Amino acid sequence: MTKDDEKVIETIKLTKRFGNFIAVNNLDLKVKKGEIYGLLGPNGAGKTTLIKMLCNILNPSTGGARVLGEQIPDGNIVSHIGYMPQETGVYMGLTVDQNLKFYGRVFNLDKNEIEKRKDELLKFVALEDWKHEMVENLSGGMKHRVSLACTLIHQPELLFLDEPTVGVDPELRVSFWDYFYQLRQKGVTILITTHYMDEARNCDRIGFMQHGHLIAEDTPLKLLEESGKDSLEDAFLVYSRHDKNKVGE
Amino acid sequence: MKLYRVIAVSRRVFRDLANDKRSMAMLFLAPIFAMCVFGIAFSGDVEDVNVIIVNQDQGYTPPLGNTTYLSQNIISNLDTGVLNIQNMNNVDEARQKVADGSASAVIIFPDNFTQNAMIGTKNPSSGSTAEIIIQGDDTITNIKNAILKTVSDALADTMSDEGVNPALKIKSEPIYGQDAEFIDFFVPGILAFVVYLLTTILTLITFVGERANGTLERVLASPVTEGEVVTGYAITFGTLGILQVALLLVIAILVFNIIVVGNVLLAFLAVAILAVTCQALGILLSSLAKRPEQAIQFFPFVVLPAFLLSGVFWPLQAIPEWLRPFSYLVPPTYAVEACRAVMLKGWGLEKIWPDLAALVLFAILFLGLAVWSLKRGKK
Repeated sequence: MTKDDEKVIETIKLTKRFGNFIAVNNLDLKVKKGEIYGLLGPNGAGKTTLIKMLCNILNPSTGGARVLGEQIPDGNIVSHIGYMPQETGVYMGLTVDQNLKFYGRVFNLDKNEIEKRKDELLKFVALEDWKHEMVENLSGGMKHRVSLACTLIHQPELLFLDEPTVGVDPELRVSFWDYFYQLRQKGVTILITTHYMDEARNCDRIGFMQHGHLIAEDTPLKLLEESGKDSLEDAFLVYSRHDKNKVGE
Repeated sequence: MKLYRVIAVSRRVFRDLANDKRSMAMLFLAPIFAMCVFGIAFSGDVEDVNVIIVNQDQGYTPPLGNTTYLSQNIISNLDTGVLNIQNMNNVDEARQKVADGSASAVIIFPDNFTQNAMIGTKNPSSGSTAEIIIQGDDTITNIKNAILKTVSDALADTMSDEGVNPALKIKSEPIYGQDAEFIDFFVPGILAFVVYLLTTILTLITFVGERANGTLERVLASPVTEGEVVTGYAITFGTLGILQVALLLVIAILVFNIIVVGNVLLAFLAVAILAVTCQALGILLSSLAKRPEQAIQFFPFVVLPAFLLSGVFWPLQAIPEWLRPFSYLVPPTYAVEACRAVMLKGWGLEKIWPDLAALVLFAILFLGLAVWSLKRGKK
């Protein structure tokens, strides 16, 4: 849908209000094709709301955004995006296999394709031995792995991953990132939110988010350099204080 | 709207329920249990009512004849399945038994009972009247009515035995419902009621779960539209409604030997449309609850209007006139009416179409509102 040099995500003064509360505030964000972009920020910073608007789940209050070249909200883009919600978004009453089949069907994959993709993904998330197990019987980390597999079943060109590695053990987290890099090489764009600051270093670019807007944005190295800190957590605090001072002025 | 997505959603909902033994039990065993419990316990037939008979009748001896006691003939004609009869001689002592609560009524035959009856019958201009006096605890109207009916039936039988033809009498000849019992009235109602109740509650709980687990969001971030979600659910619950009713009907026919004179497929149709309406109602209500525990708070609002107003347990005519319009705002009312008309009276589509039309209108309204509530979530 997009050319290599095109912006896959481009928001202009994107705003979402819930009553008097402003969850996303005049946000300008650009994500290039094939980029892994990490959104970092405390709870309530507006990361999830932003993702939900970009995925067509929430309508913006004001401002606008283009996703895969289309103005949102637009139903045409949904076949090309993959969304992994924070709450896992898998059916507890279905087996791993049944979950994958369902998501395959809604994206109109044929039987053979579903079977092929299912095998690949179950191998990738290391759940081959658990495919006939009910999701409700799996551990939290396993549920997240099922969720990721469901997100990838239709080979989307843009991925929205909301806290995809919560509860996933460190070894598997490394393999997740290996897989994300493989996807990036294939031209897949990934917008990811995470609480693991060390993990955020794996992103091509990072946006620090607070109070519904970006307070800083750059590559992890540059953010560390400019803030003069060794960790992204400390760097975030520097930018956060700077932002508060700016608001105070 | 794409059919393959609707079918995917429908299959998924069905699979989800089929995997969960508790849900399946709730869908299929709970209605059977409810029907059996209500059918047996709540049959509407009053039995074993304790009454005391004080027979002071001195009889009547015609010139050159033997003494007759009409009272004894009446007493022997009383239905002992309904009344447990105890005989006493003293009226005050018998009344005390009613006051104590150990009996429901005292039936008194005065000393001149047979005499007045005979004189009044032979010479109507004499103005002589024989009275049976019933003094009772009238606080439970069902019991009071059962006693009155039993005595009245025994009186009519005795008069017939004695060859006395009353000048005025009522003859009941059923156009519908020959030999119908309470269970025959009750089963069509309970069919509609359980489908309404279980479909609404199950969709409500399932859908609150969908919201809490993030599955609804994920599905709505896929090509599946709000309309496809609602239609997929509707197909599953409509089908399950038909299966529930089929199972209940088989048991009702085998166990309770109920009357089915019409085309049961029409009853299936009415209940399937009701199930579609109810699942949409469940989705609609789910938008008001954030957690499954909150959904439970809606149960009384789901159960009570249908229980009280839809005519399942008593006819709409038994509902106060000012409240009756509200009955017609409750969808199960139409399904109960349609099922009863089809099963007991054998009515066809040409007669029950107003009920089906009302159900279809409710279905369209609730389906529309359910889709609207899902779309509203985006704002």
